[in-house]
Amino acid sequence: MSPLLKVENGSFAYRGGPQILDNINFEVNAGEILAVLGPNGAGKTTLLRCMMDMLRWDSGRSLLDGEDIHSMPARKLWSRMAYVPQAKSAASSYTAFQTVLLGRSSRIGTFSSPSAGDMEKAEDVMRQLGILDLADKQSYAISGGELQMVLIARAMASEPEILVLDEPESNLDFRNQLVVLDTISSLAADGVACVFNTHYPAHALQRAHRSLILNKGGGCISGSTPEIVTEDNIRRAFGVNAVIGEIETAESVLKNVMPLSIVKTAQARGTDEAGSSDESCIASVSIIMKDNATADKVNSLLHEYNHLLIGRMGLPHRGRGLYIINITLDGAGPEIGALSHSLSLIPGISVKTTYAGE
Amino acid sequence: MSRDGKLPVIWIIILIVLPFIAALIALGIGRMSISPGEVLDVLRTRMTGGHVSSQLIEKTVMQLRLPRIVLAALVGAGLSVSGCAFQSLFANPLATPDTLGVASGASFGAALGILLGFDLVGVQITGLAMGGLAVTLTWLAGSGKDRGGLSYIVLSGIMIGSLFSALVSLIKYVADEESQLPAITYWLMGGLDKASFRTLSLGAPVIIAGILLFFLIRWRMNLLPLSDDEAKASGTNIKALRTVTVIAATAITASCVSMCGQVGWVGLLIPHMCRMKFGSNHLALIPSSVSLGAVFMIAVDTLARSISAAEIPVSIFTATIGAPFFIMLMRRSGGWRI
Repeated sequence: MSPLLKVENGSFAYRGGPQILDNINFEVNAGEILAVLGPNGAGKTTLLRCMMDMLRWDSGRSLLDGEDIHSMPARKLWSRMAYVPQAKSAASSYTAFQTVLLGRSSRIGTFSSPSAGDMEKAEDVMRQLGILDLADKQSYAISGGELQMVLIARAMASEPEILVLDEPESNLDFRNQLVVLDTISSLAADGVACVFNTHYPAHALQRAHRSLILNKGGGCISGSTPEIVTEDNIRRAFGVNAVIGEIETAESVLKNVMPLSIVKTAQARGTDEAGSSDESCIASVSIIMKDNATADKVNSLLHEYNHLLIGRMGLPHRGRGLYIINITLDGAGPEIGALSHSLSLIPGISVKTTYAGE
Repeated sequence: MSRDGKLPVIWIIILIVLPFIAALIALGIGRMSISPGEVLDVLRTRMTGGHVSSQLIEKTVMQLRLPRIVLAALVGAGLSVSGCAFQSLFANPLATPDTLGVASGASFGAALGILLGFDLVGVQITGLAMGGLAVTLTWLAGSGKDRGGLSYIVLSGIMIGSLFSALVSLIKYVADEESQLPAITYWLMGGLDKASFRTLSLGAPVIIAGILLFFLIRWRMNLLPLSDDEAKASGTNIKALRTVTVIAATAITASCVSMCGQVGWVGLLIPHMCRMKFGSNHLALIPSSVSLGAVFMIAVDTLARSISAAEIPVSIFTATIGAPFFIMLMRRSGGWRI
């Protein structure tokens, strides 16, 4: 099966400028979240714009379902893909509802106005994102977090398969960051592929299935998040010594990134690849979830990693409407890490992984 | 306003009926006062082909006032709808045919046409060409990657406008003092007194076609003020939409200018009044601008021709109302929105 969105050997430089993107390769599948990380000025937004054919790749191409985006008719492309710009400020004084309705453009004829069905869809999306109460407010009179949600709603109104967000949680306070990130997670759980730029490696660790780190100078590394967002890679790309730690809550274990110090140049060059531990280990994962749909997702994920499984115990707790699964794994450390990461990305689930000592 | 952005039925009725009422009243006002009943009488006999009670009244209504009022309605509707389009196109509340230099450019083109002895069609074409040139120059000078500021477009519009005003002065300087100069000067002041069904038949089609086009794409015009990336991501061919908008708005302006000179401010006043009342959604904005633009122009022109024994150029009225309004808009917080 070819991936939903794939970028092959993408390179780009602004006219007369240095190479910004150099041989970029990555892919995203339906229901996956891809986080694009990189220092300021590394070209994260440029990467997204090239990916969406708003800027033309100098070489390389973007493929949607195997078809080159550049040769697709705009209407067809933009009814499958949607773009959420940074919510700096509203340029125009439309109501939030009118703004969301504009997202239907690719599905409305040039000389037509939105039909009753279009309005229903716009209302549905706003209800789903919990912002229907903003519908009749002017988009310049709402807060930054609310505007970001309105712009996400506008993108979702076109019923896209891929949602591209440019720093959706920047400039937002704690609460609104969570609102936006939770929205992205739940859209992905419904099968939408999400690509987002972010300044926060922690958000990639907590939310993204795949990550891409853009280095200054144009190169990138991409792959599954636990393999990409590591202390080494952060040191190399950002020039920052950081530790990735885990914060344990009653429900689950969250990964976090704590920046420690700025790397002195010599030190940055000198770092050698620390031998990744492919040693096998034993781990036990306990999972608690609240509904059947989640259980299906967990089961299909466990099926994918069947070769690691050495023990499994399912326990429906019907009285409380809970499903509890305990699994025991034996396999390569990184693989176990990838599985437990993927499990933790499913919304509405509590996951904890315990590794056996030496 | 309802959530879908469409005009409430009551407003649709008002906006359709109001221009006709204004026209009916204006037909009766003038040096010879005619009651609305008599006006209706004349119109009815004209339609059904019956006998007219008074030749004088019939002539005044049908040959003098009616073409002029129709022209006023078209010019008012045309200028306000093109003002509206320019504002959305440049995402700038102060963009109008006047501030962008389009009107000056079209004036120069039209004056050039008069100088060269063209007929009205020729004057319209030179007006359109120079108006188009002016707005292109303004666009090139004032909008670019790093110049997002609101004032750049207006400032460069003022520059381009003054350039074309200078060129108009040049035309005046070389024009024949006996015949052409008075014609150009008087025409530049703006007036609808030369209206006849013949001039209308030449200028009206362009204005009507332009208004009709804007009416048809009115919902899509909502995409005009968005940023490039956002507009592209809507799946619309934004370049085509912008090009069509700028051509249609310039053609309407040039057509208005060639028929009745430079009537300023209408394109600023009316769209903003409509924005205040109906919001910025073009679904309501375009029809209301068309209707109220027509009503405003009929009212102002009627005032211009009836307030004193000698006729006062209509642009004097629009400017005395427009300039204070412009200042008010500039100072009002939140008045800068599109």
